[in-house]
Amino acid sequence: MPRLIGPVVLIGLWTCTSSLIPSWPSPWRVGGLLAANLQDPVFQAALAGSARRMVVGYALVVVLGITLGLLLGRFRFLDQLMGSLAVATHAIPGAAWVPLAILWFGLTERAVIFTILLGAVGIVVVQTDTGIRDVPPILVRAARTMGAKGLKYFWFVVVPAAIPKMVDGLRLAWAFGWRALMAGELLTSVSGLGQLLNQVAKAGAVDQLLAIMLLIALIGIAVDGLIFKRLEHAVRVRWGLN
Amino acid sequence: MRVELQHVYKAFRQNDQTVPVLQDISLTVEQGEFVCLLGPTGCGKSTVVNLIAGLEKADTGQVLVNGQPVTGPGPRRVVVFQDAALFPWLTVMGNVEFGLRMAGVSKSQRHTAAMAYIKLVHLSKFAHAYPHQLSGGMRQRVAIARGLVMQPDILLMDEPFGALDAQTRAILQQELMGIWQKTGCSILFVTHNVREATGLADRVYVISSRPGRIKNVEAIRVPRPRDAAHAALAGHQQRIIASLGEEIEKVMKDELGEAIHFAPTDRPGGADRSVDLHL
Ligand SMILES: Nc1ncnc2c1ncn2[C@@H]1O[C@H](COP(=O)(O)OP(=O)(O)O)[C@@H](O)[C@H]1O
Ligand SMILES: [Mg+2]
Repeated sequence: MPRLIGPVVLIGLWTCTSSLIPSWPSPWRVGGLLAANLQDPVFQAALAGSARRMVVGYALVVVLGITLGLLLGRFRFLDQLMGSLAVATHAIPGAAWVPLAILWFGLTERAVIFTILLGAVGIVVVQTDTGIRDVPPILVRAARTMGAKGLKYFWFVVVPAAIPKMVDGLRLAWAFGWRALMAGELLTSVSGLGQLLNQVAKAGAVDQLLAIMLLIALIGIAVDGLIFKRLEHAVRVRWGLN
Repeated sequence: MRVELQHVYKAFRQNDQTVPVLQDISLTVEQGEFVCLLGPTGCGKSTVVNLIAGLEKADTGQVLVNGQPVTGPGPRRVVVFQDAALFPWLTVMGNVEFGLRMAGVSKSQRHTAAMAYIKLVHLSKFAHAYPHQLSGGMRQRVAIARGLVMQPDILLMDEPFGALDAQTRAILQQELMGIWQKTGCSILFVTHNVREATGLADRVYVISSRPGRIKNVEAIRVPRPRDAAHAALAGHQQRIIASLGEEIEKVMKDELGEAIHFAPTDRPGGADRSVDLHL
């Protein structure tokens, strides 16, 4: 119940302010527009396009991020060679990759996926690498006395011990990737939610603009809450970190 | 099988200083023997365990198993740590079969072996539970099973029951006795509790601190199961406390930063506390 207080207050304030400012649409109007939009084939196609790019981009982030993180964690020379590159990548906001993406891939879907990848992969690499370096010493000792060595030690002890950090990285990567997707679509005008934002803003339709932004926020909250928070909680309980 | 330390010296670097931790330690654990290491916190008991486990190297002196120097860690000498150190991502079964898996034992074989030891520590019902679902005492049972399944030359137990409540501790001590008698394995058991040491061991090495030296060796020949009220045990306990008499003061002084003097007989805290060196 207390979790509902925040949203209720927010909607209350929004309703009050919209009744005072004529150009500021009420939440009920914006919500209604969003519901109507969801029935519209053009809108549905844009939503599907965004979802597709996000899924492809995020899948690449997971596979490349974890692979690179494991390699960097396992081989010190790779970490020295590429560790700072991963940190640097992670320090660049997703939107800043868009110009380079357009130069290389043009105004295409690939440019958007490239933006998601570069905007989100760094944090997964860094977190996986950190997790691998921070295996609790007591577990290292226990594993060593039971004869764990080499690749088996890495695979059956180090990697599972790093999972909580990896999950933190994946959760952050989703948020970064979602932002990068919007930036990419806004600037490349590839059909999607970002590009719709551009269109309705040019038409001066504040209510439509807010309806799309509301959807972007809701998707962000829903995926984080329904997938990542639960995953993180389950992992923290299992790993005894609570 | 015989584990032997010969004139071991070990120092650690602390704040740019070389601090001797173990000084001329010689001890043996014979095949099937139950030996306790007893001493105040910080006297180097865990360091002895780590030396035998192969997790640390002696600066001088020898650590021998069957006459062969120990060169590194391995499943012939497993450790049960104070906080169990189970792998949280594995079930009880997964933890107990871990060492066999590392050794490349087939799935069905290691499953059968692990189940036998899970039964031995009375956790059959919990074979598929995760460590976070178990109590402290149950986790130590898993750690014991995880060590024994490797059929080690020696089971090294570093204050395994130190974090448990008195009742759980008493139950586990009794069960450990049963397991030791059933399996015939050698055990080196570290504790700072005099009563625990005299209740369990064939022999107690009493270690003094800074640097750790062997102060006294008590051979305890009281037959098992031991009655806590056995007159001979009280005698052993008194001799151990007496041999640590100055030591207890030394630790108190170090920890409280002032000189305190008391005789072993009128120590504060009542009967039970009077045998616990964890001050
Ligand atoms: N790896 C280490 N580096 C530096 N000092 C250590 C290390 N391990 C133990 N010591 C020191 O050695 C002393 C003995 O430690 P330990 O063997 O853990 O004692 P005990 O188990 O009897 O409490 C302590 O003073 C501790 O600070
Ligand atoms: Mg210790």
